[in-house]
Amino acid sequence: MSIQSEFRKLNYLTFRNIKLYFKDKMTFLVSLITPLILLVLFIVFLKSTYEDSLLSITQGFNLDQNIINAFTGGWLFSSVLATSCITVAFCSGMMVIDKINNASIDFMVSPVKKSTLQLSYVLANLFSTLIIAFVLLAIGLIYLACVGFYLSFVDFLLIIFTIVITSLFGTILANIIWSFTRSQGVVSGVCTLVSALYGFICGAYMPINTLGKGMQNFVSLLPGTYSTVLFRQGFLNGTLNEMKKTLPQEMVDAIATAFDTKMTFFGHEVSTLALILVITISSIILLGVFVLINSFKKNAKSQTKKRPNCKN
Amino acid sequence: MNIIEIKNLKKYFGNTKAVDDISFSVKEGELFAFLGLNGAGKSTTINILVGVLKRDSGDCFVNNLSVDEISKILPHIGIVFQSSVLDKNLSVYDNLRYRAMLYGMNKKEFEINLEYFLDKLDLRQILKKQLDKLSGGQKRKVDVVRALLHKPKILILDEPTTGLDPKTRKLVWDMINEFRKTTNLTVLLTTHYMEEASVADNVVIIDGGKIVAEGSPLELKNKFANDFIKAYKYSKDIFTILNKANIPYQKNKNCLQIKFKNTNAAKNFLVENTSLFEDIEIVKGSMDDVFLTVTGKKLKENV
Repeated sequence: MSIQSEFRKLNYLTFRNIKLYFKDKMTFLVSLITPLILLVLFIVFLKSTYEDSLLSITQGFNLDQNIINAFTGGWLFSSVLATSCITVAFCSGMMVIDKINNASIDFMVSPVKKSTLQLSYVLANLFSTLIIAFVLLAIGLIYLACVGFYLSFVDFLLIIFTIVITSLFGTILANIIWSFTRSQGVVSGVCTLVSALYGFICGAYMPINTLGKGMQNFVSLLPGTYSTVLFRQGFLNGTLNEMKKTLPQEMVDAIATAFDTKMTFFGHEVSTLALILVITISSIILLGVFVLINSFKKNAKSQTKKRPNCKN
Repeated sequence: MNIIEIKNLKKYFGNTKAVDDISFSVKEGELFAFLGLNGAGKSTTINILVGVLKRDSGDCFVNNLSVDEISKILPHIGIVFQSSVLDKNLSVYDNLRYRAMLYGMNKKEFEINLEYFLDKLDLRQILKKQLDKLSGGQKRKVDVVRALLHKPKILILDEPTTGLDPKTRKLVWDMINEFRKTTNLTVLLTTHYMEEASVADNVVIIDGGKIVAEGSPLELKNKFANDFIKAYKYSKDIFTILNKANIPYQKNKNCLQIKFKNTNAAKNFLVENTSLFEDIEIVKGSMDDVFLTVTGKKLKENV
């Protein structure tokens, strides 16, 4: 079987998986629970809470309303993207759904390599997550353009990179878990748990700085936190630079720390490059684990399948 | 030429002997029926043939290739499962297209192959419909098209017409038969319907993982089923003869059914007692009788 033919199969299987995810309204809605919760929280009280918090820090200075709007808006959309890249990745996987619906048996009796099928699940998962993330980014950019836009090109590139690497991280992590189950209950449970919890532990619902010291140390061990801070930097660096025109450097630094655009690891400040390296290396390690798991499963299967009395 | 050969196949699940040392072969182009109750070992055998299950021992060859080389075998096989395994949220067209691409078909080849089935199975108007919006019969037709779209050499039908109305069942079989005529397709069938098994070229009956009978339906009926004389107009003196000779019979509303071991016994009885009968027919035993004789179980009770 040629590589070209296998690549074509991969292409179609990936496209099928993406289509199935977007056609399954229930799965689609569940994966968007976290951004929807955030949006509701933002409309109900987060916007005013953070505005008040910002105004209390900048008391005595006349901070432009556009900057305040851009800051709260940037904080919202950095939270939305930080959570969505993980929750959508967890909830858009077709691997287990295929196992439940027995489509996986249909693929087992079709001339397609298991590795091609597995890769199609990962790619579809990744692309579905990226599609949603970029739609959310577009909404965020339109919103910021309406209320106050201070993003530079570098900020924009940082956001794009963080979307891609966080989605990849979430996708591989989800697929590692899905490799071990064929139960709808496990999928629903994990999706609900991730959707509900991830917003808290990555600092999306409230700044990490407001958490207790122990919790702060704990979340600094999770790679997802590093991507959240990268999103914060992408969305808020421009606004913080704009604030520097009105506010003293120390005050801007205090805002940056309070709202998670700076991160410390057991007291040491983590640079942007280090943030990027942590999430990138974590993704590479997870990819290695995923490949190992699949090759182990494949070897285990072929060893038990081989019989001494076979003709060929 | 044998297209499927199974030799001393064994598959145990713990202490359960799902398939216990069975051997049989299927000739190219024939309709081969695999009969057995639920749990007899039919599906296990099929799953081993298509690489879904591993065998414990024995040899399986499909198209002269061992099932260890399953990737070379699968392009030549089409399967209709007991229940649909297609994507219920996708349209009929998308389902068929995505599956066809797995066999290396490009869009043009797919469209040409699909066209063959559209009118034959009345699929044109449901092509854009989502699969879960279709009736059971329509879904089954799509399953059959999915299995035949890549023009396989072997079609495996795992109880394909269960739950279908007689009209759709006939439609599905007409299409499979036409495909068999034009492409020399081999069909391996598992079924609960005796009328489907009775038109097969060869039948294997499996019970408790072992083959208990095999041969053509005629051979099986001759060997394992009784013959009957059905008398519609007859003299009442016949009862005296039957009772005296201890020949089993059953008197129904419309006819008298007299049971004989074989056709010769029935023929001899008729010759000896011609004057007692006015309107009769000699009927061969059914596959149900064969099944009952070889397994001691009634097939329909288990369905």
